[in-house]
Amino acid sequence: MLHRRLTQFFILYLAGVGVLLLFKLALGLSDYVIPGPAEILRTAHAYGTAYAAAVLNTLGVAVLGHGLSILLAAAVAVLARLKAWVGGFIRTAAFNIQSYPIVAVAPILFILLGDGLVTRLLIASLICYFPLLLSFLGIFSEPVREIEHFYEATGRMTWRLQIKIRALENLQKLTTVLVGSATLAMVGTIVAEFIAATAGIGYSIRIALYQSDLAKILVALLLIGIGTSLWLVLLERLGAALQRKLEGP
Amino acid sequence: MELVGNDIAYRYPHAAADLFAGLDFRIRGPGFHALFGPSGVGKSTLARLISGMLPAHRGSIAAQGMQRVLYTYNLERLPGWVTLRRHFEETASAAGKPRLETLLDIFDIRPLVEARFPRLSLGQQNRANLVRYLLQEFDLLIMDESLANVDEATRQRIILQMKALFPERCFLYISHNVAEVARFCGEVLVLRGRPKQPQIVSVSGGDQREGAEPDPARLERAMLAILHAA
Repeated sequence: MLHRRLTQFFILYLAGVGVLLLFKLALGLSDYVIPGPAEILRTAHAYGTAYAAAVLNTLGVAVLGHGLSILLAAAVAVLARLKAWVGGFIRTAAFNIQSYPIVAVAPILFILLGDGLVTRLLIASLICYFPLLLSFLGIFSEPVREIEHFYEATGRMTWRLQIKIRALENLQKLTTVLVGSATLAMVGTIVAEFIAATAGIGYSIRIALYQSDLAKILVALLLIGIGTSLWLVLLERLGAALQRKLEGP
Repeated sequence: MELVGNDIAYRYPHAAADLFAGLDFRIRGPGFHALFGPSGVGKSTLARLISGMLPAHRGSIAAQGMQRVLYTYNLERLPGWVTLRRHFEETASAAGKPRLETLLDIFDIRPLVEARFPRLSLGQQNRANLVRYLLQEFDLLIMDESLANVDEATRQRIILQMKALFPERCFLYISHNVAEVARFCGEVLVLRGRPKQPQIVSVSGGDQREGAEPDPARLERAMLAILHAA
């Protein structure tokens, strides 16, 4: 799983860098516009450690923001299944809000909260919250009749049991949703760092952008890819382990 | 103990015609009874009406001495996150718990109790599902093809032993097997598609008990009557 995901990322990354170098050769661009392989390697050596720490910082905020979104989305989805009209209202509202680019409200958060951890966390959470909420609403409001019937008929159904049945019966779907939204959380954190941060890899990229230093940006992209791949594989493995535990020996 | 349906009407939303109109039926006393009829005639719908899962548009269903009605069907699943034994123990009623070991033997489930539901064959799954219903408190248990995918010999043994174990309870067995319902059931309600009237015809079955030999002549008469009614 890890090997496959990292290989896929490296192929894409190297293809992207290769296209840039082809442009450089074809158009005769200077090292200032597109650095050569030696310059990229030199930058990686000089800034690799600092950028790796920045990626870890960003990843930490993304994981925290993702966790926050999962908790909030799960809580709202659980509440939404209490009454059909409440669920319908929340679903419609979430669907409409989701279609709005949340990243566009990031400057407002920056103005209200300033730069720093809280703003990064909020933007990361907001970006992955609505897709998570819509998926959770779908999963928690869809009855698993073949299992639930017995508990309903014998008067044993509780809301906790209902949620447990629906979550565990849709574990694979939930894992896919969580992995997909984890990428969104990472995107959200980096976007937040472009706008409102004094730390993280997004902030480092912004500095490199001001310096027009493409080599730094390419090194940052490489480390973001590796960090995100590791996180996604960890989530997939957790989901698979839980699935195996549920299926038993 | 009596279950009486009077003038029942039901139509599915968006359906062009009533599924039932003016349907009457009566089941008397405890025992093993059947609901028989061709596919799509409304057996499961009638079972859901009797169990209260669906409201009839008109008419009434009165149950005398049958306060606790349970409906089970063959597509039900037990949760896959626990073993069968743990599920049985967690969900059995206080009165049902002492029956567990007996039922495990009758249904030949004992070797499977430490397994989880998804690992079982279809026949084993249906037997496990039925066991947990028999661990509940009930007066009438409606079994909608609950023994599907179970081999004939095992099915017959289970039915005979269920009748012996629950002489005071009422069972309504939905099946497409005419020989089986004719042999083991007391009353067979034959449900017929519209526009046939009456929509339900009641036929007396062989009602074979454990240890008794089937009466071939009676069985033949019952089978003919059921087929004729259908």
